[in-house]
Amino acid sequence: MRTPRSVCDEIEPDLLAVAIGEASARAVERVDGHVATCRSCREELGHYRVVDGMVGDLRAAPLTGEDGTLARAELVSRLADLRSRMVGYGIFPSPLGPVLIARSEHGVALVQYLHKAGAIPGHVRRLLGEDAVEDRAATETLSAELVEYLEGRRARLDWPLDSGRMRSEFQRRVLEATAALPYGAVASYAGIAARIGAPSAVRSVAQALRWNPLPIVIPCHRVIGSTGALTGYAGKHVELKQRLLAVEGVRTVAAHHDFKVRREAMYTLMDGEREYCVPTCGSLSSQPLSVLTLFGTRERAEAAGFSPCTSCRPDLHPLPA
Amino acid sequence: MAGSSVSRPVPSGVSMGRVMAEDAFEAVVAAHHAEIRRYLLRITARASDADDLSQETFLRAFRAYRALPPGANVRAWLFTIATNLGRNHFRGLSRRRRAYAEVAQHAPAGASERADGQLLADEARKRMERVIGALPEKQRMAFIMRKMHELEYTEIGASLRCSEESARAHVFQALRKIRRGLEGHL
Repeated sequence: MRTPRSVCDEIEPDLLAVAIGEASARAVERVDGHVATCRSCREELGHYRVVDGMVGDLRAAPLTGEDGTLARAELVSRLADLRSRMVGYGIFPSPLGPVLIARSEHGVALVQYLHKAGAIPGHVRRLLGEDAVEDRAATETLSAELVEYLEGRRARLDWPLDSGRMRSEFQRRVLEATAALPYGAVASYAGIAARIGAPSAVRSVAQALRWNPLPIVIPCHRVIGSTGALTGYAGKHVELKQRLLAVEGVRTVAAHHDFKVRREAMYTLMDGEREYCVPTCGSLSSQPLSVLTLFGTRERAEAAGFSPCTSCRPDLHPLPA
Repeated sequence: MAGSSVSRPVPSGVSMGRVMAEDAFEAVVAAHHAEIRRYLLRITARASDADDLSQETFLRAFRAYRALPPGANVRAWLFTIATNLGRNHFRGLSRRRRAYAEVAQHAPAGASERADGQLLADEARKRMERVIGALPEKQRMAFIMRKMHELEYTEIGASLRCSEESARAHVFQALRKIRRGLEGHL
């Protein structure tokens, strides 16, 4: 665009800068010298000063629709919502391989085995959500506690949990019933189904546990098949389930690409009872696993608040170690 | 195992690295929301657009806030996000035309009640607003950032992805056009 003809080209940029108060001392000097002798540029400097004054007035004038109070209130509420969905995560080595731990402001939202170091698989990315950020500091303590747990030096992970990654109300109920299984105990999928009042939903229970967003913390490894077979864990990693159970004192035997809990080697608790037994007590051995909880050791049964049966006296006649 | 803990809220005192950053972000909203919204209102001339774009500006900023280096100029950074969103917003030509039209009609509050002596000044001011509304996008944004919000040319350059010199050139060019548009009214 051409500059107004009334201004001398060589001084025009300096003149503008002077008019809006952005000129260097040298430019001010040049303009002063020029307008002292050039009348049209002197006039134009005046015009630009008026323009700048008008711009200043415009800036100070109230704007239609200036009140942003409502907009800000809405923003604050959307930020709170975003914040509650956001997670920070860290990836840590563990005795069971690299593990990803994510937490939101509500609590721990995700624990996932990564199997291969470094790579976050697609389904875990989806669970993390697009707003996930790496935040080792926020998850470091959790990881240290998890390692203690996996090394058998800690029996509880008393973490606040964020249920946001659970898929349904049904899954939440399954996970809640599973979370109630004591350390060192196992129950069956059918047993969990019975506990949530859906005794025929055994396969759905297995599916719900298959997509447990919080393995180890919500101990789906303590849920086994009705035959005592471990049946599956973390994809095709049933050996991790066996190792977790071993840490808790539940012994298993290898069986056809799987492992099996032997009922005859387990202290046995009938649903609703307060006393645990040897597996041969009364009619226990003919009961389906779905109404029983099995413990690897007496210590675990007693730590969970159960006392030895006064008929079979597991305290006097313990199972062979 | 805590059986009923599936959706337990975080007890106060649970340490979380992010909590501090989030609290700091509350302060960012408090300090800059009104100005960023005003900037977007000047850019779009529509309160509802300014609401939407300012909200989006801060939601984006919140997501990226942790990655911002300590000591960064948060205000200039917010202007950059808002400017990008504003430019995306105008990518549809029809929208831009509509915004120009609204800027052109945009009368200062209480203009009609002014005394007769003010009429000429008001007319000049309306003309100026029309010229500003019709400026090319970069010139208009640079002009508003500089003259309405007093950003530095380096900051304006960062927002518009151009050099400091280009940012200055945009503002000067805008001033020349305004000056020409007011020919006979000064």
